[in-house]
Amino acid sequence: MIKRYLSLLIIVLISLHLSAQEWVVPAENGARLSPFAFSDSTRKAGAELYNTNCKSCHGDPGKNNVIKLVPPPPDPASAKMQSNPDGALHFKIAEGKTPMPSFKNILSSVNIWQIISYIRSFNDKYVQKTQTKPGGSGAAGENAKIKIAWLKETHQVQTFISATKEKVIQPVAGTEVKLFVKRYFGNLPIDEARNTDAEGKALFSFPKDLPGDSAGFVQLIVKLSDEAAFGEVKADTTLAIALPTYRPPLNEKRAMWNVVQKAPIWLLLAYTFSVLAAWGFIIYVFLQIRVIYRAGIRKDQ
Amino acid sequence: MASEVNTDFLHNKKLDSIAADILRPVGITQGFVVWMGFLGVSLLGCIYAYYIQFDKGLIVTGLRDYISWGMYIANFVFFVATSLVGMLISSILGLIGFKWVKPIARIAEIIAVAFAAIAGLVIVSDMGRPERLPYVFMYGRIQSPIIWDVTVVTTYMVISALLYFLPLIPDLAISKGRIGHTPKWLQSTYEILSVNWQHTPQQYKILLKAMRILLILIIPTAFAIHTVTSWLFAVTLRPGWDSTIFGPYFLTGAFVAGSAAVVIVMYFVRTNYKLEKYLTHHHFDMMGKLLVLVSIIYLYFNINEYLLPAFKMKTAEAVHIHDLFVGEYAFMFWCVQLLGLIIPIILLLFKVFRKPFSMLVISIFVLVAAWFKRYLIVVPTQDHPFLPKQFVPDAWMVYHPTVIETAITVGTLLLVIIIITILVKLFPVIPIWEMAEEQTGNDESPQD
Repeated sequence: MIKRYLSLLIIVLISLHLSAQEWVVPAENGARLSPFAFSDSTRKAGAELYNTNCKSCHGDPGKNNVIKLVPPPPDPASAKMQSNPDGALHFKIAEGKTPMPSFKNILSSVNIWQIISYIRSFNDKYVQKTQTKPGGSGAAGENAKIKIAWLKETHQVQTFISATKEKVIQPVAGTEVKLFVKRYFGNLPIDEARNTDAEGKALFSFPKDLPGDSAGFVQLIVKLSDEAAFGEVKADTTLAIALPTYRPPLNEKRAMWNVVQKAPIWLLLAYTFSVLAAWGFIIYVFLQIRVIYRAGIRKDQ
Repeated sequence: MASEVNTDFLHNKKLDSIAADILRPVGITQGFVVWMGFLGVSLLGCIYAYYIQFDKGLIVTGLRDYISWGMYIANFVFFVATSLVGMLISSILGLIGFKWVKPIARIAEIIAVAFAAIAGLVIVSDMGRPERLPYVFMYGRIQSPIIWDVTVVTTYMVISALLYFLPLIPDLAISKGRIGHTPKWLQSTYEILSVNWQHTPQQYKILLKAMRILLILIIPTAFAIHTVTSWLFAVTLRPGWDSTIFGPYFLTGAFVAGSAAVVIVMYFVRTNYKLEKYLTHHHFDMMGKLLVLVSIIYLYFNINEYLLPAFKMKTAEAVHIHDLFVGEYAFMFWCVQLLGLIIPIILLLFKVFRKPFSMLVISIFVLVAAWFKRYLIVVPTQDHPFLPKQFVPDAWMVYHPTVIETAITVGTLLLVIIIITILVKLFPVIPIWEMAEEQTGNDESPQD
């Protein structure tokens, strides 16, 4: 028994030690560069995204008001954060590592680069290097487009990827495609990532029990993984292919805690009746004072 | 209360002597001017304190996130409580038929009107943005006890004011020709307020009917006002407030505070206005018995309210009970229980302590303790939220009322005293016609 506790303790200690260790970024990811140059507009967009997604833990850059976690989230203006190459920051934001969540299904790659541009605005020494466009290499093509089709019989989503190559629109074969469904918080991956076939098509099987809105509508999002070749390519469409689900809003029914228009009937009646009854008598008494006054005038005459 | 008035008293010579006794102190005297001047100047200081709060916001008070109801709300509960005595004396005791309450009834109504009128202002003093007061009516939810409270406080104040005014009408008519020694404007006020009163049987009949309606209507209203005030606390789950007996607990406590207030005003009226003939030892004796009765009921509710949680010692309740019994608030708690409840009960059981002066002293102790009792109900509970206090500035941890807060609270008390002074000094404080009618009816001189 004691042995078991000891081994458990050792495992916990090791994992604690590991979690405190350096965050290793694969060389290939660390070397990635932003496809666009950072500008005031990217910094502004980045600031907004930062405030919604990052600030609750990382605080205001430069003020060191980060949340108390182990390990502590670094302040974006700190040397610890700024010493990361752009690609490493992108990797860390996208992948996450407990307690840092993964943002790859919540934020687009462009969004993450925008946040990095905002983070870099707190580093005076930073000089940006941008990616050299792979366009014209001939392999992948330009202006990639995604078409989405619903195959009702097999309950599958079919995507078709095409791109312009040598001024001709052609299907793109062998590139990775991902399918997501938009949920309240972030995007839910559907099925595995697929590679397109020779016709540029990829098939995703779609779950039969996925809840949609009251008419069964869901928003599908398709993305190409190879951003280096195509840039950020994404298509979305809304289809009635999920399970129609009606969830009544919590404030639909009359309740004690609801707005006044949805107060319980008994309370409305009790309150109104009590107020009317009391003030009815009070007004009656005021009228009686008037009667007394009139009676006095008659006596005078 | 009789359903008819025998208007014979109008021709009885006793009316003249009673009216002369009661109207003698009425008017603007030097003492009145000095006293009002003192109250007015003190009030100006308090108004300046309020100006600071209005300008800077509630940050000038000791109120912070955890203890957001402090002295102001305690003061509000105290005001509502004290005002309830109007209902107890004029309505409950009057309708049962106790004759001795007649000369006291108007004093009780004056206290009811003054405290109920200012209670609303006390709530406004607790608002950081008082200019948003109309929002309560524009966007208020009738599910909220705060809206119920606003409704019943207003209703109670109007009914109390009418119950003060209606029996005053015949007195104003009687006084009209008898207050030559007072300023012209006061005489015109009497003329206007006496609404053409000619002492006709029809007028008396209407008056008695109207009063009867109000005396019955004020009972549920008064129960509602203080029960709802207790619900402001009892609808929560917090230790010390989460109690099913809070309604009657507040109600009985209210009668204790109110009776003590009546005794204090009675004493000053009796000695300053030389009205010993009307506010006799018998009246003080009866008020003493009333005070001991309501105090014993309140003590019973106190035992219930503290002993049960203290017996069970549920985790959160235990912290609260320890704080009161042996902790931070122990000194205040035991002073309130002993000096404001237990010792007064013991003393008042003996006739010798039910004399005017000893009654005054005991009542002052009871009334001051009643104020601190409300503080003990409102503040300590908020000291221990269910989620621990952490990562907050030190100033949020404890509540200490600031000077500004205290000055504003004193200001509201001054306003009450000003209203009481005006009503007691400028209008007949004892119902002339009811005294005359009673003495004509049984032709007995008042007991002493």
